[in-house]
Amino acid sequence: MSDLSLDATQLDRYSRHIILDDVGPEGQKRLLEGSALVVGAGGLGAPVIQYLAAAGVGRLGIVDDDVVERSNLQRQVIHRDADVGRPKAESAEEFVADLNPDIEVEAMERRIAPEEARNLVADYDVVVDCTDNFPTRYMLNDACQIEGVPLCHGAIYKFEGQITTLSPDGPCYRCLFPEAPEPGTVPDCATTGVLGVLPGTVGCLQATEAVKVLLGLGETLTGRLLFYDARELSFETVPYQRNPDCPVCGDDGIDDLAGVDYDGGCGVASD
Amino acid sequence: MNVELRFFATFRQAVGRKVVEREFPEGTTIGEVLYELEEEYDDLSGQLIEDGELRPHINVLKSGREALHLDGMETVLEDGDRLSIFPPVAGG
Repeated sequence: MSDLSLDATQLDRYSRHIILDDVGPEGQKRLLEGSALVVGAGGLGAPVIQYLAAAGVGRLGIVDDDVVERSNLQRQVIHRDADVGRPKAESAEEFVADLNPDIEVEAMERRIAPEEARNLVADYDVVVDCTDNFPTRYMLNDACQIEGVPLCHGAIYKFEGQITTLSPDGPCYRCLFPEAPEPGTVPDCATTGVLGVLPGTVGCLQATEAVKVLLGLGETLTGRLLFYDARELSFETVPYQRNPDCPVCGDDGIDDLAGVDYDGGCGVASD
Repeated sequence: MNVELRFFATFRQAVGRKVVEREFPEGTTIGEVLYELEEEYDDLSGQLIEDGELRPHINVLKSGREALHLDGMETVLEDGDRLSIFPPVAGG
């Protein structure tokens, strides 16, 4: 812990954390000195970016290669009507600057390439997976496992969400689903539609996990998959275990991303 | 014996509902149930089984325990079991 101290404005801004048991001024300093990489600034990324910025997570990386479309505004609450046509990473950066001047934002207007994934995730304390595609999800899992960075996973489908936290000591996403479905077999939000408020709920749970990881607080969803069903308003948690044969975190797991076919089913080539 | 089958995301769509209660003979395995489901629902055909094993794109839980860590397709079901079958989803 460095000697970063809170100024009067910060003591005021974060006062509800500072008086909170198990957070306090030390916890708030941890958040301000902490960093999170938010991959995807869409439905899930919007609430994650909002709450991590509001909480005072000092350095936020925001990656997205899309521009804001009008059809995004039904759920992607950090972007406004006037942002239509702008890069999401840029719009998100501006949102954070308006919300909390304490936060340093690194906006990256691109899709993460396998060659850079490991270095990129290793530069942050926690990664939050808010992407909308399997190749990037599997790549983040693999890179975070290899680099030992916790990954807060959330994904949505119509009225349902899946949330879990992938810790460096496993189990990992490939223990649950060793390979991705073939491209095109699982429809996306643009094809099926999505309840606008759904990613708000799921993203808030991911942000909760990220804040807990940064604070070292409580029990995360490590080894547990949480299903959220908005139609029933039900939550169901199921435990899952490390797969000893997991191609990434198993006993003979990979130690680089070179042999992984992210353009196909994300399969890991065996030696 | 009675088994509760629970479907998530695209599988729920394929079956048309989240929960199906079904009677099976004693000793029925997870594999036998999955073959029956692939047979019964067109949109599940080819989605659950690959080369006689669980597909690597799905997860199956027997009353909250992963089939993978039991006996996989050979896992014998018991009366009152809940069999949860789910795919990954990617939306964000």
